Amino acid sequence: MKLMIVDDSNIIRNRIARIASDSFLNQKLPNIEIVGAAASGVEAHALFLKTRPEIVTMDLTMPEMDGVECTTLLTQVDPQVKILIISALSDKATAIQALMNGAEGFLYKPFTDDELINALLELVEE
Amino acid sequence: MSDLSEKDIDVFIEAVGDYFKKTTQEAASVGVAYLARNAFPMNDFTGMIKVSADYDGILYFSAPSAMLRHLLTVMKETNQSDENLLDAVGEIANTISGNARKYFGENMVISIPEKVAGLPSSFNQQARYYAYVIIIKWKHYSASLIVDISRKR
Repeated sequence: MKLMIVDDSNIIRNRIARIASDSFLNQKLPNIEIVGAAASGVEAHALFLKTRPEIVTMDLTMPEMDGVECTTLLTQVDPQVKILIISALSDKATAIQALMNGAEGFLYKPFTDDELINALLELVEE
Repeated sequence: MSDLSEKDIDVFIEAVGDYFKKTTQEAASVGVAYLARNAFPMNDFTGMIKVSADYDGILYFSAPSAMLRHLLTVMKETNQSDENLLDAVGEIANTISGNARKYFGENMVISIPEKVAGLPSSFNQQARYYAYVIIIKWKHYSASLIVDISRKR
């Protein structure tokens, strides 16, 4: 499955990519091809149109366009895309808003490697 | 002056402890918060989050470069440029303030992180007379979390 990573933190983008790649090698996840990474909602929208990923990990607090707005845009382009929100925003209202705008899962930062693997696994097995 | 209560400050203590435990699999020693007046323990790199709406002020996470490099190594991040060290302090400040919204609610609006190397030029002007300081010890390094936040009246 094709994965796009969206987060304004370079170290978080790299960490998600590394965990996803290692998990495939360790056979914890099915084959996930990372098709790109974006640092803002605007960049993510352009990259999405170009690469058409099936799974997206999405940060919420980002410059230019936040994750909720970007989630709405991406699901309008492709209602089948599966979006996992990965954010530190831990209040209920934010999680509900993200899910109502088309996200399929929510993983709170900080996360362990296993927590990310399990969240991705749930998404790909749906 | 920060008018947050001891219970409010515990939210930040818990969040910073949780960050190190989950990210590094090794607990940090998080000290008791104390009120400081002007003499704030700032380090090489600082991440800042401005809060607004029902709250006002700034949260600072400040750490020495050696600690951040070690942290990135534990996270298997090989790029240890200053850019990534700045990214790390910004992400930690963002995570702690974001987690605090579980307790404070959505009406604590948080900004995207601002990150600086050295002492933030705006720090002296922006910090109030008193702010809470929390010292975090991880491995043999020491970082600080400065909570300069109050409720709007």
